[in-house]
Amino acid sequence: MKKPKVAFFDFSCCEGCQLQVANFGEGLLDILNLIEVVEFREVMSEKWEGDFDVAIVEGSITTPHGVERIKKIRDRSKVLIAYGSCATIGGINGMKNKFDLDEIKEYVYKDGAKYFETIPTRPVHQVVKVDYFVHGCPVYQPEFVKVLKCALQGIPYTVPDHSVCVECKLNENECMYDKGLTCLGPVTRAGCNSWCINNGNICYGCRGMVSNPAKNGQMDILEKHNIPLDWVVNKIDMYNKPRELEETETNGKKR
Amino acid sequence: MTQYVILNKTDLDEFISRLAQIKKTVAPVKRGVKNYAFEEVTSGKNVAVKYIPTILPPKKYFLPQTETLQQYDKSKKTWNAVMEFQEMIIFGVHTCDLAGIQCLNMAFSDKPKDINYLARKNRILIIGLECNDYCDEYASCKVMDNHMPNGGYDLFFTELDDFFMVHINTLEGEDLIEKTGLFKEAKEEHKKALKAMREEKRKRFKDEVNVTHNQLKPLFDKSFEAPVWQSLEARCVSCGNCTNVCPTCYCFDIEDEIDLNLTTGVRKRRWDSCQNEPFAQVAGGENFREARGERQRHRYLRKFKYPVDKYSRYFCTGCGRCSRTCMAKINLKETINELAQGAK
Repeated sequence: MKKPKVAFFDFSCCEGCQLQVANFGEGLLDILNLIEVVEFREVMSEKWEGDFDVAIVEGSITTPHGVERIKKIRDRSKVLIAYGSCATIGGINGMKNKFDLDEIKEYVYKDGAKYFETIPTRPVHQVVKVDYFVHGCPVYQPEFVKVLKCALQGIPYTVPDHSVCVECKLNENECMYDKGLTCLGPVTRAGCNSWCINNGNICYGCRGMVSNPAKNGQMDILEKHNIPLDWVVNKIDMYNKPRELEETETNGKKR
Repeated sequence: MTQYVILNKTDLDEFISRLAQIKKTVAPVKRGVKNYAFEEVTSGKNVAVKYIPTILPPKKYFLPQTETLQQYDKSKKTWNAVMEFQEMIIFGVHTCDLAGIQCLNMAFSDKPKDINYLARKNRILIIGLECNDYCDEYASCKVMDNHMPNGGYDLFFTELDDFFMVHINTLEGEDLIEKTGLFKEAKEEHKKALKAMREEKRKRFKDEVNVTHNQLKPLFDKSFEAPVWQSLEARCVSCGNCTNVCPTCYCFDIEDEIDLNLTTGVRKRRWDSCQNEPFAQVAGGENFREARGERQRHRYLRKFKYPVDKYSRYFCTGCGRCSRTCMAKINLKETINELAQGAK
């Protein structure tokens, strides 16, 4: 069997998710038995002029140039995987959307601002069709491998649509709320094996929200723990601000 | 066979060390600020003799969170059954959790028998530990009739003055007593002390809700349209904590995991929860328990109605874990009281 041609691309991001692949260790050899990497700026200088069987895209779309580029990549790819929080939900770059774009551009680039065009941050699927989602900041390696295997077999991958709490309980972590901390686990979709909480950190919601978060119930919880609403909204917005730009409810059911 | 022996409290540490030399031993250990968890131990040093129910019940050793059931090879068109089990001793299981294991045994022995579960269960020795007093305000073990020992163990420890009274229930249990060699025969004075403690305990433990054990089933029989489910609908956030920590919830999902060669792989089961959004979703996207209130009602009926119809046994053990862990502070005792209030 001819190995499928796979390419990695990045848009607005820190490239840390691609680093997750570069740092894969020995397991990477098994992956390379399966695919031919034809373009991957972070680890190789070769470029590919033809079509891709699979394009793996990190980063969010934040400039008109980005829009053009992602459209071209989409046209050349049989399968497109949005890879990492920036690509799947907008991620950290989405915080820009909280501000007036011209003002925030001036704030960041000062006198150079006139050289940059900017548009509201969007995850990849808000610009072109996405076939698979690998959420997370960074992506959780075992989930990436799972998605890759699905893509190569041509079968769907379903992102879990239950909260991080489920995996966290299965890992028998003490609840962050029991420790007096605010954690976004209850509203964030699972799939990361509660990676952060296993290591003593709270959940920051980097995988996006479950398709049907219980608003009333969540407000009750905040009230009970004496947590101001805007705190939590700020926390959620750190990764999830571009959710406001969803045209229709592209909820977890489809992902 | 002597039914009762005693162990000096000062010998507990040595007892656990000797158990751990016989086979893998797990016991309740402090986890975090105010929780406990069953963990492997090699001595009694970290074992918590007084503890509130652990985050996960000992169910995790009988039905692991994920478990391989089969392996397959597409090129050879083969499917092989896989059994994963390990010899083990669980020390310090409270009566509520003993009841939980009894419930799981019933469900998994029912036809078709779950061979993976049963193979594992037969390799686990259980040492019970009595609660002389309530663990905390969430427990409802008296009304569920699980506050007193009622079988389901190999050995059963009761802490008294400066010793543990130990009931020997099985030959395997007796074997542990002999192999560890730290026990003395219980004398009349020891038995008296046990009896006195139990009498005191009976006075302390009262039905924790406003209905009796036998009134629970008829109450839930008529509960389908009760308004209390609407109140839970507004409060529940579907985090699934209540079912994951429940000693008798055993729902699981099956998942195939193919290897990177895309030829061989394994079939696994992992815990699932009726509280999770997609649990009752079927092809075409229809979800026949879409509302959280319906899902909560289902959970309660799976404890207080359906298993009673099927196995003549409540599948609530009164351990209180669901209430203790609920993000939204949904409380089992309050739910039952509200139901009872509405039924008047």
